[in-house]
Amino acid sequence: MLLAKDRLPQLLDHLAAQARVYVPARVGEDTRFALYSSGLEPDFEMVNTSLPPKDLLFPQAQSMYRYGFDDNGTPFIDPVHDSDNTVLFGVRPCDVQSIACMDDVFLTMGYEDEFYAPKREKLLIVALVCNNVAESCFCDSMGLDPNSAPYADIQLRQGSEGFEIVAQTEKGQAALSDWKSFLSDGTATRDNVSCTLKVDMTGIKDKLDEMYEHPIWDRISKKCLTCGTCTYVCPTCHCFDISQENRMKLGERFRSWDSCMFSNYTEMAGHHNPRAGKQPRVRQRFLHKLCFFEDRYGKTLCVGCGRCVEKCPVALDITVLIDQIGAADVAEGAEVLEGAAHGN
Amino acid sequence: MSDIQTTLRTRAAELLSSGEVVEVIGWTAGRFDNQTTPAFITKAEDAESLVFNEYCVNTTSKFSLMERGLGKVAVCVRGCDSRGINRMITDNQLKREEVHLIGIPCTGMKDRKTGEELLKCRECSYRNPVVYDELIGESVTEPELNRFDAVEKLEAMDQAERAAFFDSVYERCIRCYACREVCPVCTCKSCFVDQLAAGWQGKRSNVAENKFYGLTRVFHVGDRCVECGECQRACPMDLPLMLLNRKMIKDLDLLFEAGEAGLDAEGTNPLGTYDVNDVEEFM
Amino acid sequence: MAIEIEHGHVRAKEQLVPIACKVAAVSEETSDVKAFRIQTLDGKKPFEALPGQTAMLSVIPYGECMFCVSSQGEDYVEFTVKKVGYVTERMHFLSVGDSVGLRGPYGNWFPYEDMKGKDILFIGGGIGLAPLRSLLTYVLDHREDYGRVDLVYSGSTKDDLIFLNDIENVWPTYPNTHMHVSVYKGTEGWDGEVCYTAPFLESLGIEPEGRIAVLCGGPSLFRTCLHSLLEKVGFPPGDIITTLEMKMKCGIGKCGRCNIGSKYICLDGPVFSMAELEDMPWGAH
Repeated sequence: MLLAKDRLPQLLDHLAAQARVYVPARVGEDTRFALYSSGLEPDFEMVNTSLPPKDLLFPQAQSMYRYGFDDNGTPFIDPVHDSDNTVLFGVRPCDVQSIACMDDVFLTMGYEDEFYAPKREKLLIVALVCNNVAESCFCDSMGLDPNSAPYADIQLRQGSEGFEIVAQTEKGQAALSDWKSFLSDGTATRDNVSCTLKVDMTGIKDKLDEMYEHPIWDRISKKCLTCGTCTYVCPTCHCFDISQENRMKLGERFRSWDSCMFSNYTEMAGHHNPRAGKQPRVRQRFLHKLCFFEDRYGKTLCVGCGRCVEKCPVALDITVLIDQIGAADVAEGAEVLEGAAHGN
Repeated sequence: MSDIQTTLRTRAAELLSSGEVVEVIGWTAGRFDNQTTPAFITKAEDAESLVFNEYCVNTTSKFSLMERGLGKVAVCVRGCDSRGINRMITDNQLKREEVHLIGIPCTGMKDRKTGEELLKCRECSYRNPVVYDELIGESVTEPELNRFDAVEKLEAMDQAERAAFFDSVYERCIRCYACREVCPVCTCKSCFVDQLAAGWQGKRSNVAENKFYGLTRVFHVGDRCVECGECQRACPMDLPLMLLNRKMIKDLDLLFEAGEAGLDAEGTNPLGTYDVNDVEEFM
Repeated sequence: MAIEIEHGHVRAKEQLVPIACKVAAVSEETSDVKAFRIQTLDGKKPFEALPGQTAMLSVIPYGECMFCVSSQGEDYVEFTVKKVGYVTERMHFLSVGDSVGLRGPYGNWFPYEDMKGKDILFIGGGIGLAPLRSLLTYVLDHREDYGRVDLVYSGSTKDDLIFLNDIENVWPTYPNTHMHVSVYKGTEGWDGEVCYTAPFLESLGIEPEGRIAVLCGGPSLFRTCLHSLLEKVGFPPGDIITTLEMKMKCGIGKCGRCNIGSKYICLDGPVFSMAELEDMPWGAH
C-alpha cells in the first residue's frame, strides 16, 4: 500500500483525532518527537532527534502513587496510572529497536512493570526506515539495518511516490484497516542506505567477558566527566530512581531517570559505594551495553543511534571503545591482577 | 598552529622522560575529522599523539583535579584553562606546585560541524594564558569586545518577557549536570543537588526544578566563574548558560567591584566575604 | 547432593506500590538497632516470606529501603533495622501504631529444603545476623530436619550484639545448637572472646564435611571469613552461601543499580552461593 505524500497531513490529522501522535520535528532549537497538531510539519529528512522517544513510555519523571492520611487519620496509598492511545510516527529503526530493549526490561524476567505496560499496550509504532544517515550512525554494525524496522507495528519506506506501508503486527494490521481511505495501491522506489561509521562487533562480547579487570577501563575513564549526558540521550538507558515530594499531609512518590554515571546512584546508607570512582561507573555503563544486557536478554543494549557519540562533551565515543576492545590484549594487566588477588 | 603542535610534542616527551612530570594533559585526535578529545599522556613515546589545532574545544583545567596525587602533572593551558587553574588554586582545590603549565596562546576554537568559531571563543577576552611555566608560540593580541552584549538584551526585557525567557531555557534542560561536571569552579565534594537527605533539589524534571538547579548554580559559581564557557559548550541541549553567568558577573562587578575571576591565584570571593562597605540596597 | 539456590522468582503481590501497614511492636536491640513488627492495618500478616527474602519498608513521607525479613509470626513480619542513613534514622522514630508502607516479598531465599540433613554453620557480624535470623529460626523450628547448628557471631563491642537474649537464653536450649560469640573490643561486663571473626572462626576447629556455611556481614568480615572458609577450613565454594546487599530502589529487577554483572541482587538474589559468585564479576564489590 502507498500513502501519497500529500495525504500525509490528512492521515496525521485523522490519527490525532483519536490518539496522541508524536512525529520527529524541529521545535525551536531542538529536534524531538513533538506532539502533532494540525499544521506541525514533521521532518523526516533530519537524522536522529536530539532526544530519543523513550520518554513516551518511560517519562523522565513519572508519578507512581499518592499517599497521605484521610480525615479519620487512616493512611491511604493511591496508585496513579495514566496512559493514552499514542502513535509514534516516523520513528527510525534504531529507536524502534530501543523499544524492543525496553520491552525486555519492563515486561519480561519476572515482573511486568505496571506503569510501563499500559503505556506500551496503547502505543502504535510506525517506523520510517532511514532516508539518510548521520556521520555518527552505526546501527548496521550493531546488527540492525537502517532499511528495515522489524519490531515496528507498521513500517514506512519513503520514495518519490510517497510512503510504502507494510503492517508487521496484528496491531499494525488493525491500524492499517482504519487508514484505508488515505492509502492507494503501489510501491515506493527507494535506494537502500548504509552507515558510513562502521565498527566490528565480532568477538567483542567474548572479549569483554574476560576484561572486567582490564586496564583499558582506567585509560578510557580518565576523560569521563561522569555527567549524565550519554545516559539521558540514550534511547535504551532505562535506569531509574524512586523519590518523593511532600506537601503538608499529601505526598507523591515518583520514579525518574537516573544515571549509572552519578556517584549517588549506588551509594548506600553509611556511604559505602561499590562504584565510588569513575572507572567502575564507566565500566558498568559500557559492560551493561555490550555484555551484561546480552547475558540477560540476548540483545546488545546499544542500537547504534550515535546520540552519545554526538553529545558526549569529551568525545568518549563508544565506537572508539569498541575498536579499542577489538584491538586489546585480553591478558594485559593480568599479572598485576594475579598479585592483587593474592594480596586481597 | 602546527609549529605549536610540534613544540608541544617535543616538550611533552622531554618533561615525561626527564621525570619532571608524570603525565601531560592535552588533546589528541578523535574519531572524526576536525575532532579532538582530552588526552592523558604518561609515556614519552606517546607524546606524538598530542594534537593542537583549532578544534581543541575542551578546556583542560578540570582534569588536573582528577589527577591529583599522581605526582606533578603538566597541563596545556590557554587563557581559559589558565584562569581555571588560578581559580582552583584560590579555592584551595589545587596547589600551584602540583602542576606544570604549558602555556599556549589561542586564536579561538571552531565547531567541527559548522567550521565557525565557538561562541565561548568569540566572547573570550583572554586568549593568552594568564599563568604558565613555559610558553609555546607567540602571544596573540587580545580582542576588544563587549562581552555583556547579550546580558544587556536580557536586562532590556520586561519582567514578563524575562520570566518567559528563563522558562523557555529551563524547560529544555535535561539535568544531566554536564555543566557542573565540566566546570573548573564546580568543585564541591558534595553538590547541593546530590544532598538528597537535605532535599534541596527534587528529582522531578520540570521547569521549576530545572530553574532551581540552574539559577542556584549560577549564584554558586557567579563570583568565581572564569568565563571559560565550557558549561555552554558541554550542554547537550545548547542552553545559553554563559548568558546567566555573565549577568551575575556583571552585577557582582557593579555591586562589589568583583572584577574578573582567575586572572591571578589570589582572587576574591565577593559572595563569601563580608565588608562593612558592601552595598546593601535591600536593607 | 549439591545445594540448589533458586533465582529470579516472582512472589510479591505488589510491584512498586506498597500497601499501608502499621507498626505492631518495636523492640530496641542495641543503641542503634531496633526491630519492628509490621502488620496490615486490620492486624493481619502482610505476606508469607521464605527465609532470606526481602521487602521494601517505607517511612511513608521519607522514602523506602530494602530489608531482609528477620523473622515472622502468625500476624506480623519483623525487620531489624540499624540506624545508618536518612530513612533508617527516621524509621527509628516510629512507635507502635504508626503507619508504614510495605511491599514484597522480593528476591530468592536460602535453600532450606536442600540443606536438610546437613550441619549448618552460621557466620554473622553486627547487623549481618538479621538476615541469617530468618533461616536460623526456621531451622530451629524444624530442628529434627537438620544436623548440628553453630552460630559464629561477632560485634564491635558487647553493646553492638543484636538478639543477645536469643543467643544467651533461647537458641542454646535447642538440642545440638552451639553459640560462639566474640567482640572486637572488650568492655566492662564482657568476659567472652575478644577476637576478630575470621581467626575466631578458624580457632573453633570446624570441619567442612557435611556442613553448609551461611555468611552475612560487612565487606571486611565478608572477605576475611570467606578467605578462612575457603583456604583454611576447606569449604568447597558450593557449600558457602551468602546474602548480598546493594542499593536498591525498585526491588523487581528494573531500576538497574543493584547489578553485579548481569544479575540483579533484588530479583536474582540476594542469596548466592560462593560458587555462583565466582562466576560473577563481584570482586569490585
